[in-house]
Amino acid sequence: MALVSPVDASDDAGIVMASLEDPEAFGELFRRHSPRLHAYIKRRLGPTLADDLVAETFATAFKQRERFDGRTEFGAWLWGIASKLIARHHRQESRMYRAFARTGVDPAEDGLADRAGDRVSAAALGPRLARALASLGSQDRNALLLLAWGEMSYAEIATTLGLPLGTVKAKIHRARAKLRKHLPEEKTDG
Amino acid sequence: MDEFDALRQMRTALAEEEHPHAIELRSDWRTGRKGGGVRRPRSRFVLPLVSLGATAAVTAGVIAAVSEEPDDARGGTGTLSHEEQGSVLLVAATNALRAPAGAYWHTKSVSGEVYGVGTSAANHYKVDSRQGVDRWTDRKGKGRQTHLDLVDVPVTAQDKQKWQAAGSPTWVQVPLPGVPDQKAFLDMSAKPKGSGTRWMPFDGRYYGLSAAAVAELPTRPQALEKALLALKGDWHAYTSKPKKEPLGDLQGTERARALSDVVGTLLSDAPAPPAVRAAAFRVLATLPGIRPEGGATDPLGRRGTVVSLPLETTVTLGLYTAPQQLGTYRRQFIIDPAAGKLLAIRDLVVTPPHGSRRLPPGDNGKPRILRADQMPDRFHRPGEPVSYQVFEVAEWTNERPPS
Repeated sequence: MALVSPVDASDDAGIVMASLEDPEAFGELFRRHSPRLHAYIKRRLGPTLADDLVAETFATAFKQRERFDGRTEFGAWLWGIASKLIARHHRQESRMYRAFARTGVDPAEDGLADRAGDRVSAAALGPRLARALASLGSQDRNALLLLAWGEMSYAEIATTLGLPLGTVKAKIHRARAKLRKHLPEEKTDG
Repeated sequence: MDEFDALRQMRTALAEEEHPHAIELRSDWRTGRKGGGVRRPRSRFVLPLVSLGATAAVTAGVIAAVSEEPDDARGGTGTLSHEEQGSVLLVAATNALRAPAGAYWHTKSVSGEVYGVGTSAANHYKVDSRQGVDRWTDRKGKGRQTHLDLVDVPVTAQDKQKWQAAGSPTWVQVPLPGVPDQKAFLDMSAKPKGSGTRWMPFDGRYYGLSAAAVAELPTRPQALEKALLALKGDWHAYTSKPKKEPLGDLQGTERARALSDVVGTLLSDAPAPPAVRAAAFRVLATLPGIRPEGGATDPLGRRGTVVSLPLETTVTLGLYTAPQQLGTYRRQFIIDPAAGKLLAIRDLVVTPPHGSRRLPPGDNGKPRILRADQMPDRFHRPGEPVSYQVFEVAEWTNERPPS
């Protein structure tokens, strides 16, 4: 597709400012940030909800753009909004993990089965991980998955979730311990 | 593998990033709702995606509507490697071989063209102008066909609202490219005016090939391509000197475009045996510029895998002496690899029309000009369809054609 927009030199915060005068300018932020955010939400809630939540996240950010003060990265601010919206679907997300754990078929990945070959090694552990993920509280799950799937640093996660760095580390430590308990014992290499 | 590595390997297929435009078509940041006015059912087990505008079509026995989803979340843009792209068409080819045989080749297809109605990008709606054909051909090439009486419908629910807000006009005006001050009209009356099904005899040819000749086409891809390159016709989108020439005389993108037309027909309307279809999928895989595009939903709401190629123009070949369009486009083949079937062919806007272009004088000797504001797709955004063909039925069957 020849749809790639020309790279705009102005930074995110500058675009937010510009969008106060020219609302359409905000579209550039959508182009910059939606692919990664959408992929992350898809991974957590499946494709259908991801479309909804990306729309809601950006609409919220757009409405509240006057409140964005530029002290944090726009990306962290945006992902913070998204994380709150994802947390609202905590139960739905847990249901999908539980269904995966029970049946071995991941409802979030429905329709992707033809490409199962990509995920051979994960397949065996998937249901066990899903069971553990289902048992996590919403903040712990947010922190852990921002690290594992969002590929954020601890500091970025702290900014995104508005938590102290120490708290984030503690949450992730606790969540990983829970996951470990659900996995088979690691065999020692001979 | 520790728990963190295992977690990172979970749901990787869902983690593929899509082009922002594909996301924007479904997720509108301006409204916080899914884009295009199309609400997908929450559960994928319920109903296929069909635009609300298709209601009238359902009563006509055919469901067709232009899907506003060029790239689905579960596919993404360009996410397949070359090997996987090869394998999509290879799988389709293999499975095409397994298609059942039958005494009749039966096709039911709808083709549509999308026109913008209105005066500005902000204030317009799009209408899908449709034609359908139900056709049965026996092994000798004798057949019958009937025209499916389909009204023209707003493309999305949003388009429908705007059309209703305009008073639900039965006839809407659209511009005619290259003919300033002339308008065409689309019929949007609520009910099809069909006076019962009328079957007409059909003795079709496919790019000059009789049904018998289609049945005899080579079943090895290279030999098939050679046979197709020998087909004579007027293969240009426009030329000042129309003449018949072998397809193989064309070069580059013109050749790929013409081949894509012919292969598309072999995979749909033409009564080609399974082995010829299988070879046609393989020829498709070798067209220059063809590339994978992930998944998509066809205009009937069926899931498919997409390969696409760039198009300079979407107009029917061999009809025009001057260009008709000012945008650039790409053609999607939406395929069901497991069934070995072509579900739909869809042409999408890549660069919307802009500016103008001088044309040589026409029949009346007056200078002509092509302007963006005369284009049916003048309000299209990148990724939106300008035209499509969807093949609801394309199969060999032992069922008897309706009498």
